[in-house]
Amino acid sequence: MIDPADAHRKPLPVPDADTRAYWQGLREGRLLLQHCRACGAVQFYQQALCRACGAEDLEHRPASGRGRVHAFSVVHRAPGPAFRGDVPYCVLLVELEEGPRMISALTGGDPMAVRFEMEVELVCEPQDDRISLPKFRPRPGTRA
Amino acid sequence: MNDDATLRGKAAVVGAGISPTGRVPGKSPLALAALAAQRALADAGMDKSDLDGVLASHAFASPFHRFSVAFSEYFGIAPTFSNTLQVSGATAATMFNIAAAAIATGLARNVLVLGADSLLTGLTPDLALRSLSESRDQQYEMPFGIPVANTFAMTAHRHMHEFGTTPEQLAEVAVIHRRHALATPGAQMTAPITVADVLNSGWVTTPYHKLDCSLISDGGAAFIVTSAARAKAIAGRRAVYILGGGECYTHEHIFLMPSLTTTGAKRSGELARAMAGVAPADIDVAGIYDCFTGTVIMMLEDLGFCRKGEGGPFVADGQITHGGAIPCNTHGGMLSFAHPGMPGSMFHFHEVVTQLRGECGARQVPGAEVGLVHSLGAGFATNATTILGTEATL
Repeated sequence: MIDPADAHRKPLPVPDADTRAYWQGLREGRLLLQHCRACGAVQFYQQALCRACGAEDLEHRPASGRGRVHAFSVVHRAPGPAFRGDVPYCVLLVELEEGPRMISALTGGDPMAVRFEMEVELVCEPQDDRISLPKFRPRPGTRA
Repeated sequence: MNDDATLRGKAAVVGAGISPTGRVPGKSPLALAALAAQRALADAGMDKSDLDGVLASHAFASPFHRFSVAFSEYFGIAPTFSNTLQVSGATAATMFNIAAAAIATGLARNVLVLGADSLLTGLTPDLALRSLSESRDQQYEMPFGIPVANTFAMTAHRHMHEFGTTPEQLAEVAVIHRRHALATPGAQMTAPITVADVLNSGWVTTPYHKLDCSLISDGGAAFIVTSAARAKAIAGRRAVYILGGGECYTHEHIFLMPSLTTTGAKRSGELARAMAGVAPADIDVAGIYDCFTGTVIMMLEDLGFCRKGEGGPFVADGQITHGGAIPCNTHGGMLSFAHPGMPGSMFHFHEVVTQLRGECGARQVPGAEVGLVHSLGAGFATNATTILGTEATL
C-alpha cells in the first residue's frame, strides 16, 4: 500500500552497495559503465558480477556520453501528481555508443521533435546534493 | 521444461466465478475475492470444505502480503497448499499452470485460483497508477517519470517504426474490444466507439491515446481446478482441461529487453503449444492480455497467429473478432470489460472457459474446442501462456 503523500514526491534513487560508484560518477559528470576484464562485456547497470560470464573483475569506465534514441514515448499524463507539472516530457530508451541501453529523459529539446535513431548526448542534472540524473539532449546539429 | 513430463490433461477447471466488476465501491479486495470464490464453488457444485489449495495474486489495495493466506482466514478455510504469486500481469496464467502441477504431483486435490483488487474505488486512479509504476526500478527507471504505460508504449512505438504499424490499426483493437464488451453483461464500458474516437481521446503517452489504454477497475475472479478424474465425475462435459503451459522471463528492466518488438511470449507460447500438442491454427478462441492496444498486436505475432510485423493488418482485416481467424477477448478484455490489476487476466480465463463450455450465448464462438490465454506484465518482462481444451481434445 502506498501513502497518498508519496504520490506528490518525485522518486529519487537510493544508491545501494552495487550502485554507489555509479551515482558518485554521475555526481561528477561521468556515466560509468562496467567493463568485464575477463570476457570484455560492457554492461549497464552496475552489479557485482558480469552478467555474461560471472566474473567479479569489473572495471568502471566513463561512457562517451553519446548515443541514439532506440525508442521513446512522450508522456502527456504523468504517473501521479509528482510529475504532473512536467508534461509533456519525453522518456527515452537510449542506445549508448558502447552498446548498452538505458532509460532516460530528454532535456533541452522539444519532446515532440524526438525521432527514432536521433543522436543524443549526456547531460548530468543535479537533483539534490547527492543525486544527479543522467539525461540526454539532442547532439548539436541534430534537430529536436 | 522437462521433456519427459507433461501437464496435458492432468487437471481441469470445474468452477468459474466473477465478483461484481467495474466500479464496486465499499468492497475490499478480500470481499471481492470471497464473492468470486463463492460463485466458483457454486458453479462447481462444491463446498468450501472441499478446497485444500489456494493460489492467489497479490492485491495493490490490500495490506496483506500473503493474500492467499489472509483470504483463507477471511473465507474460513485452512488449506494445506497455498501461495501468493507475483510475476505482475503474467500471474494469472502461472496460477493455472502451477495449480495443474500441484494437482498432478499430489500437493493438492482441489485448488482455488483467485485474484481480486479494488484499484478504482479502493485505491483511486492516482494511487493505482503510482503503485503500478512503483514496480519499475527505483534507481534506473522511476526517477525519469516513467508511467506504467510508458514501457509498453515504447515497444508499440518501436513496432510502428520497424513494421509500419499505424495508429488506426492500434485504434481498431480498442474498437473491436469495445464491440465485444457491448455484448457482455457486466462490462464496465457500455458505449460504442470508433477509430476516430480513439485517435481523438487525448494522448496518455505516445503513441497511446486514452482509449488505447486499459481500464482501472474493481473486481475479482475465482476458479476451481481439480484432477482430470474428479473433473470428469463432477463436471462432465463442462470440465475444461489444462492442455499445456509455458512461461518466459527475458529481462526485468525494459532497457535489457533483448528486442522491443519480439517478446518472451514467443517462447512461452511455443512451450505451451508443444505440451498441448497443438499448432496456432488449432486454437479456436484466445484471451490475450490487452493492457494496451499495441500489446495485442505484438502478442498475435509472437503467439504465432500471424507473422511478425503483420499484426496491424491482421487486426484491421477482422481476424480477431467473430468470424475471423482467432476471436480474441470476446468479453471485451481489459480495454473494455474490466481491469482491476492482477485479476484483469483472470477475466480472460473466465471468458475462454465459458467459450469452451459453449455457454457464451450471443457471443459464442461456434465449435470452440481449444482455447489459449496469454498473460503478461511489467513491460513484457513476464509472460505466461495456458492452453485449455474441452473433453474432446483429450
